[in-house]
Amino acid sequence: MIFKLAAAQDQNKPISVDFHEAKIADVVADLEAKTGYHFYYSPAQFDSLKVTVQATDKTIENVLDMAFHGTTYHYTIVQQNIFLTKGRQVYNELAVGFFHESAVNNDLEKQPTTAVDYTSEKEKKVAEATTENKLYTIGIRTNNIKSGTATLAGYVKDIKTGEPIIGASIYDPVTKAGIATDQFGYYSLTMPRGKHTLYIKGLGMKDTRRLIILYSDGKLNIEMQEQVTSLKEVQISAEKVANVRSVQMGVNKLDIRSIKQIPTAFGEADVLKVVLTLPGVQTVGEATTGFNVRGGSADQNLILLNDATIYNPSHFFGFFSAFDPDIVKDIELYKSTIPEKYGGRLSSVLDVTDRDGNTKKFTGTAGIGLLTSRLNIEGPIIKDKTSFIFGGRTTYSDWLLHLLPDAYKHSSASFYDLNLGITSQINDKNTIYLMGYMSNDNFRLNSDTTYAYSNKNANIKWKHNYNNKLYSVFMTGIDHYDYSIASTANPVNGYKLDFGINQYNLKGDFNYYPNTKHTIDFGFSSIYYKMNPGNEQPDGSKSLVIPQVVAQEQALESAIYLGDKYDITSDLSVSAGIRYSLYAYLGPQTVDHYAPNLPKQAVNILDSTTYKQNQVINVYQGPEIRLSARYTLSDDLSLKAAYNSMRQYIHLLSNTTAISPTDTYKLSDPNIKPQLGQQISLGIYKNAKANTIETSVEVYYKTISNYLDYRSGATLLLNQHIEQDVINTKGKAYGVEFLLRKTAGKLNGWLSYTYSRTYLQQNDPFAGELINNGDWYPANYDKPNDFNFNGNYRFSHRFSISLDVTYSTGRPITLPIAKYEYGGSERVYYSDRKAYRIPDYFRTDFSMNIEGNHKIHQLTHNSWSIGVYNLTGRANAYSTFFQEQGGVINGYQLSIFAKPIPFINYNIRF
Amino acid sequence: MKRGYIYAVLITAAMDGACKKPYSPVIKSGGVRYLVVEGVINPGSDSTIITLSRTVKLSSKSASDPELHAQVTVESDQSAEYPLLEIGGGKYASPGLNLDNSREYRLKIKTADGKEYASDLVPVKITPPIDSVGYKVLRDSLEIYANAHDPTGNTKYYRWDYDETWRFHALYDSQFISNGHVLEYRTADQEIFFCFKSDTSADIVLGTSNKLSQDVIYQNPIVLIRGTSEKVELEYSILVRQYALTKDAYDYWQNIKKNTEQIGSIFDAQPSEATGNIHCTSNPSVPVLGYISVCTVPSKRIFITKQDLPDSWQPIYPYTCGTDTLKGQGRIQDNLITLPPQFITVGPVGDYFNPTGWVGTDRECADCTIRGDLKPPAFWIYK
Repeated sequence: MIFKLAAAQDQNKPISVDFHEAKIADVVADLEAKTGYHFYYSPAQFDSLKVTVQATDKTIENVLDMAFHGTTYHYTIVQQNIFLTKGRQVYNELAVGFFHESAVNNDLEKQPTTAVDYTSEKEKKVAEATTENKLYTIGIRTNNIKSGTATLAGYVKDIKTGEPIIGASIYDPVTKAGIATDQFGYYSLTMPRGKHTLYIKGLGMKDTRRLIILYSDGKLNIEMQEQVTSLKEVQISAEKVANVRSVQMGVNKLDIRSIKQIPTAFGEADVLKVVLTLPGVQTVGEATTGFNVRGGSADQNLILLNDATIYNPSHFFGFFSAFDPDIVKDIELYKSTIPEKYGGRLSSVLDVTDRDGNTKKFTGTAGIGLLTSRLNIEGPIIKDKTSFIFGGRTTYSDWLLHLLPDAYKHSSASFYDLNLGITSQINDKNTIYLMGYMSNDNFRLNSDTTYAYSNKNANIKWKHNYNNKLYSVFMTGIDHYDYSIASTANPVNGYKLDFGINQYNLKGDFNYYPNTKHTIDFGFSSIYYKMNPGNEQPDGSKSLVIPQVVAQEQALESAIYLGDKYDITSDLSVSAGIRYSLYAYLGPQTVDHYAPNLPKQAVNILDSTTYKQNQVINVYQGPEIRLSARYTLSDDLSLKAAYNSMRQYIHLLSNTTAISPTDTYKLSDPNIKPQLGQQISLGIYKNAKANTIETSVEVYYKTISNYLDYRSGATLLLNQHIEQDVINTKGKAYGVEFLLRKTAGKLNGWLSYTYSRTYLQQNDPFAGELINNGDWYPANYDKPNDFNFNGNYRFSHRFSISLDVTYSTGRPITLPIAKYEYGGSERVYYSDRKAYRIPDYFRTDFSMNIEGNHKIHQLTHNSWSIGVYNLTGRANAYSTFFQEQGGVINGYQLSIFAKPIPFINYNIRF
Repeated sequence: MKRGYIYAVLITAAMDGACKKPYSPVIKSGGVRYLVVEGVINPGSDSTIITLSRTVKLSSKSASDPELHAQVTVESDQSAEYPLLEIGGGKYASPGLNLDNSREYRLKIKTADGKEYASDLVPVKITPPIDSVGYKVLRDSLEIYANAHDPTGNTKYYRWDYDETWRFHALYDSQFISNGHVLEYRTADQEIFFCFKSDTSADIVLGTSNKLSQDVIYQNPIVLIRGTSEKVELEYSILVRQYALTKDAYDYWQNIKKNTEQIGSIFDAQPSEATGNIHCTSNPSVPVLGYISVCTVPSKRIFITKQDLPDSWQPIYPYTCGTDTLKGQGRIQDNLITLPPQFITVGPVGDYFNPTGWVGTDRECADCTIRGDLKPPAFWIYK
């Protein structure tokens, strides 16, 4: 130790190394060149050693610690000399220099007993002192431990911020008892009484363990440390094993860190754009709001932000998603196994979860981009008990619009969003969660017409633990979405049109862990919809516009559910659930009755009935089955199968290519049936390289009935008889999805390929016009081949690069087959729907993420993100169209980002 | 802040490019030849003209393929027949039909290939008169609009088309003309500086008052003319015709407009084909394009002169040419006097009556007759 101190002044110079399977001679040569130290060692002893170390700005000691960790090699630093030895023995045959025995021994004694950690000394001590080596006594202590089992429960939290850790696994390798924490970071584990070692692993967290003696039921809260560094190439986390071991299929979970690595058009991390890179997810074009999951339409996705339904998840025509990347913690997309507690949409559930505020201290971040700026503040209201998190984002993006294609020129736009979350742990048994969200968009699109839309959501959740085995969460809240369109350019025609939907939610979810083999959840949910489908009023004193109001719609959608995950053997698990949903369309309302077996047209209206306030007009009900099973073939290989059925009572009406901000919604009524969907899927999952590589293949087949398509020339907005303009169609979709994902190491990312088809059919002659002569035709978002690559390579902790490659078949379009002259110019005649495709889509994005120094104790942490969107500058066709100009028809293809777009973003964390 | 600026500029450079590119896909089934029927049955004293044509391939040079030698008849719901005569170019016409407005009418067609076509029976619409045609001077363009109203409230759906006529001038005023031997001063009837040109509407213009409490059309835009257009450099005249439509007819026209004019932006509806009110009775599965309306066609003409418009509006001449000064007998003989001359003489060099040479320019910059007519149309009123 003395000698090391003597040499300390020379060690201050930090060094960076990158060895991969390097021989000792190379390592020594490199270190000698970088440090000025001289190495002494026996080549014969070291010939079998291969060194793999990657480090930036580390001391020589740190580097050597890393290089020799887990081996029998040691080093001793004496002044300007470093001696390398093997085993505990000191070898005399070293050619030059001398040894100080005590120095060697001291160093050897210093050999760590637990996992080596290179985070700052201070943090390391906190973690080690309080946790890993301490024996925790659970329950009431007795002289003799009784036989039988007991239940241990508690929260897993981040030691630094107090945030709950979701999906962390708690596992005892001896008894094979294990469980993952739920969305509150809560776990309940039933295991034999006695002494156990629990291993706890969480995504992005440092693995830890707890020694416990379990006497009887009891509590254990576990605090985990964030994985500040990722020096060791092998980390095993719960998430990775979950891929193979969970019963769920078709679930993709991404934390904000992976999301932030993916380059986006304007350099701002975008939750929805990342979703598009997952297998089975498609979009009709870039810069659009909607996404399509496994052949489902965009309105068949339930988008939840902390359990609040977000009706319009985008800003700025779809260029940005409405989720603030500084607040979001992670996202989870359910494509196949949709948990029983979710319902109401056919295709998928996208669950976006915000972080809880820091319960220990005040922190925040700020980001400056070319188009938006963001600010987020969080901290304790009552330390360790109540915390808040607030995030806001706004734009100054008008300049961008003037650079976009003609369709956007002369437009202006602005938006903002605000998030607030409050978490209060009242006591061990009760926690309250409050959330508020608001987004607002205003724009003027190329004319005098102004548009505005807004999401407003608020809810409160109360989590109550009855005992270690049972807890419940009650939630009540309101979700609101509205938009308005106004124009006063022509005083006689001045108008203002409003649309609005309110959704009042009440639900209760119970989780029950009766024993190690069963996990039961059950509950109820009820949604009361109140919708204003359209209200047009004159605007201005000269306006002659007749007020036009489409009658408000009301409905109550309720459901109860029960599900059980049953581990039949350690290899076979089954999850079976049923959700029974009951939908009632309520008065006041006037409903037309149409003659049976005739098209729904004005001439076929037999009569109409007027219903009073809250009178039940009609009821749709039915069970929804959620089944899935997993069979483990080996530790890293499993087979899964799932069957799902879903019901959807609310429909988005849109006949534009992309979802436009002025599309309207419709509730199911006697003339518009709920959409029904069924899906069967099979999958094989294999992990490799200590679970750092996940591979999976999933196949699915899906049918949809009562999907809505539109008659030619349909009017959707302010239509008093919308049922006359929509057509019920059937849908079928099938596909196979391949996913290869590397979750750890310097190189991480995923590669996915999907082959899928989606078809629609309208062959009921009584329903009015046949589409495509009643044959199957491809849906708008039918893109058979879809390939995605997202890769991130970390050169060091402070510098990483990301590359993103997307390829997909062009979506189907209807092209004209002939032209003719009419109304003074050339016109085109369109044939069968979707008989052609736009050119294939290909895009590559690149970004570099540069972080400031990693000293933990400094006022602010900075990071830069610089990159290029659409690196190859390919002009991908967003749409193709034939337009008359000066009497002549010309074909055009419209691209949104036809050139490479460089971007830069600056983030600051305080 | 400075850095942000630099990148903003970078993006500007990157994105300032055509995002709309020509697109010409290979379309497989291009062999269809559907009948296209266009025209209005005029129940009043004005003539009725129906145009028949066939659809052509998308890649075809000409947009229209006239349908010749067909028999075209207007038929009432009481089977009274009013035949139309072929006047060439696929047009079939009849002088004023003076129909009974309380009856319904249809168009019947028998084509040369023996197929028979008929429209649905259509009620007679009496189009209200155009109240006025006016204009608004916008920042860099001129908007022509129409006002109309129907006190009975029966019209609600309107369509307009128009004929435009304007006087314009060539870039240079040619003062000399060659007779093959010498250059002479142009006489008044040899002037080729001022001409008249006409055009018809190409865009579909529709309006409706169905959302209003009265059947009033207020300043419905008819045409937008750029301030740099030659149309408004001197005098401009527009004849606007008004048609009353049924709701069905309005929807049909709206659909064509959406399919070919309002398309291509992000939120525009996808194209879809609407069926008109004409059917092939010999083979009902064959599509027939077009919509037959029965209505009177009132019209209104206005004149606008440059004095009414901003001085800052300067026309952009469609051609660019320089002038060349020619001196010496040989060059003048070769370029200006030989017929046809290579250049048109603009003016003299030196003394006006004893020039030492001449200034010449390309024909398209001094001869307005290559694009227009010297004679004013019959309705023209000089202001």
